[in-house]
Amino acid sequence: MNATNVLVVYPEKCVGCRLCEQWCSFKHEGQVNPGKARIRVVRVHSKYVNIPVTCMQCAKSPCIAACREGALSKSPETGAILVNEETCIGCRRCIRACPYGAIGIDKDKRVVLICDLCQGNPQCVAHCREGAIQYVPLAVADRGPRDAYAEVAAAEIQGGIR
Amino acid sequence: MTALKGLAGKILRVNLNNGTIIKEPTPQEVFANYIGARGVGAYLLLKELRPATDPLGPENKLIFLTGPLEGTLAPGANKITVTFRSPLTGTYSFSLCGGHLAPELKFAGYDGIIIEGRAPHPVYLWIDGDQAMLRDASHLWGKLTHATEDAIRSELKDQSVKVACIGPAGENLSRFACIQSDYHREFGRGGAGAVMGSKNLKAIAVRGTGGVEVADPEALASLAEKTYEILGSNLKARARRRYGTPEMIDGTNALGYWGTRNFSTGYFEEAEKINAASMEENIFVGHMSCYACPIACGKVSYIKDGPYAGTRIEGPEFESTGLLGANCGVADLAALVKAVEICDVYGLDTMSAGAVVSLAMECYERGILTLKDTDGIDLRFGNGEALVAILQKIAQREGLGDLLAEGSRIAAEKLGVPGLAMQVKGQELPTYEPRGIKGMGLTYAISPRGAHHMIAPTMGAEAAGDGSQRLDYRGKAALVREMQLLMAVVDSLALCSSMRFALGLKEQLELYRAVTGLALDEAAARLKAERIVNLERLFNLREGFDRKDDRLPPRMLKEPMPSGPSQGQVVELEPMLDEYYDLMGWDRQGRPTEEKLAQLGLEYVWQEVSW
Repeated sequence: MNATNVLVVYPEKCVGCRLCEQWCSFKHEGQVNPGKARIRVVRVHSKYVNIPVTCMQCAKSPCIAACREGALSKSPETGAILVNEETCIGCRRCIRACPYGAIGIDKDKRVVLICDLCQGNPQCVAHCREGAIQYVPLAVADRGPRDAYAEVAAAEIQGGIR
Repeated sequence: MTALKGLAGKILRVNLNNGTIIKEPTPQEVFANYIGARGVGAYLLLKELRPATDPLGPENKLIFLTGPLEGTLAPGANKITVTFRSPLTGTYSFSLCGGHLAPELKFAGYDGIIIEGRAPHPVYLWIDGDQAMLRDASHLWGKLTHATEDAIRSELKDQSVKVACIGPAGENLSRFACIQSDYHREFGRGGAGAVMGSKNLKAIAVRGTGGVEVADPEALASLAEKTYEILGSNLKARARRRYGTPEMIDGTNALGYWGTRNFSTGYFEEAEKINAASMEENIFVGHMSCYACPIACGKVSYIKDGPYAGTRIEGPEFESTGLLGANCGVADLAALVKAVEICDVYGLDTMSAGAVVSLAMECYERGILTLKDTDGIDLRFGNGEALVAILQKIAQREGLGDLLAEGSRIAAEKLGVPGLAMQVKGQELPTYEPRGIKGMGLTYAISPRGAHHMIAPTMGAEAAGDGSQRLDYRGKAALVREMQLLMAVVDSLALCSSMRFALGLKEQLELYRAVTGLALDEAAARLKAERIVNLERLFNLREGFDRKDDRLPPRMLKEPMPSGPSQGQVVELEPMLDEYYDLMGWDRQGRPTEEKLAQLGLEYVWQEVSW
């Protein structure tokens, strides 16, 4: 288990199959239930793109800072945000604080849902067939997006257009 | 009986006459007997519709149904059927739509929706989990499909709401209007969009926040993983992923069964301008997937320059490319993409639309239609601009478009050339040219919803090896029967047909058991499939359809194919029909015999519905 691994998302690779949502909720709830998935894919129909949205393991964790109940903490093993379902009061302040809109609601337990990295083996990554979400060491988490940008820039320089 | 797992448990019955919405328990026995989606729809339509129901009258129904697998880990389980009496054919019909609508309905707690009656003014149905209501849609009437979806998501303040809607073509009752969903997924064939328009129902919007419980989650998970693995290395699946359905163009054309210029031949000389390789090089810019699909065959296409610059669609699909492209002689990719866009935003079935235009083009070249009739459109084969221009007119029922919006059978009759309409029972032929692949000819003839390739898609088996088997009519009846039964299962499970690359009947039944808890062996599944096929036949029989309607256009029977690898061929329909009816246990008029119905346990159903 690598305490410094983080999720990196490539929306341009996402096709919107939502297998990630399926396996996320299956792993956590034992059934497919997108309402309880810790990752959501938002399709922007008019732009023909799909945006996977989930916790990015921010270093400064605005969600933890926003929580007045002390219900959120960072896992020392994986760096994932852990929700204490006993102390969470379902006030949803963390949802507003998250810059990605990555926090969901469990409508039955009335607590918030945040990616727990599946204890270091994120099922969304394991089941993404497009490489649209990856789990990589923080130290090199900038490289994939940079390579992706460079590829676009290179194509533009050559006069191509995506 | 114990409740089947995988089902949501409720069906919504919506009466548009008075606005009442009732939640009925899902009929478990009907699902056990007929699997789901297509099978259950066939049963319910036969039971609930009186004979001679006007397809565009309030008595017709739109029966939307998912299958047991939707909203579970079952790969490619994302289809929803709509079953109805077709205004294009007068027959029983159903149409399947992929995308994300089916699972959303399950997450909302429903296995289906039955729409009845006619609203006094335009409305849309908003299903928000437990809550279902009709909302005014006056402000949406007249809007294109994409604009309708956008407007509904905006007013419901949720971009993840799933929408199915009609465009202006459905509102103005074009007989081949479709119901559009997720921008570019359709209930395409048979005119369900016109039925929806006749009911003043502009759209159905769905939001679900629940889950779907299955019988054996661990078994299902391992079956899903296995399927992903098979599809990852399966060559056909990989081609489908890379090129979408247009991967089939080259093979189809190379063996001379690609319907070209109103099915005057089966070989398109300019195919390489609009084949998969050309699309990849010139227009593909991305991929789009339906729910839970490990293939993602949807391709996003974008036109960079020229008169249609900026046009963006998901597609074109193989059938659209065939009927709007080859069958109109059009080898201009940009015009093809524009044509698909027009069909999608106005809500027209691309297949029938292409076939109707090809009919008009042939009439124009023969002098039956003139420049005056077309309002100046030079409607010759191969003219992409003309294709785009006439589609606009069809979509808006302007000028000649008003006649063509009635479908090719009615249009050709009014023009005095009924033989030039390439249709069966009123529904236009798919792109496989039957003279070059005989089993497909039989499939078109016996299809319960008018010509349709997916009723018994025999092309793969027929074109296998050196492809020469495709020209032999012998043995095709058995092949058609076999494929017809297999597809009745696939469509009733509401699996995408592309999953067949990895999942045979045995594997499909493993999925079914893991989801529902009900073990079915192959023989039992085949029996259910045969029941479904016979129910469909009985609906049509009740409306007076029999052998006399299991026809092909005279061109397919009498005119030897003039060019290409299948040159000289005609379809030997009669002997195939005889053999097929015999194998089905039907009489030589194509009517299920009493013995057959008794054997299938359908005699009581038939007595009940014989009004």
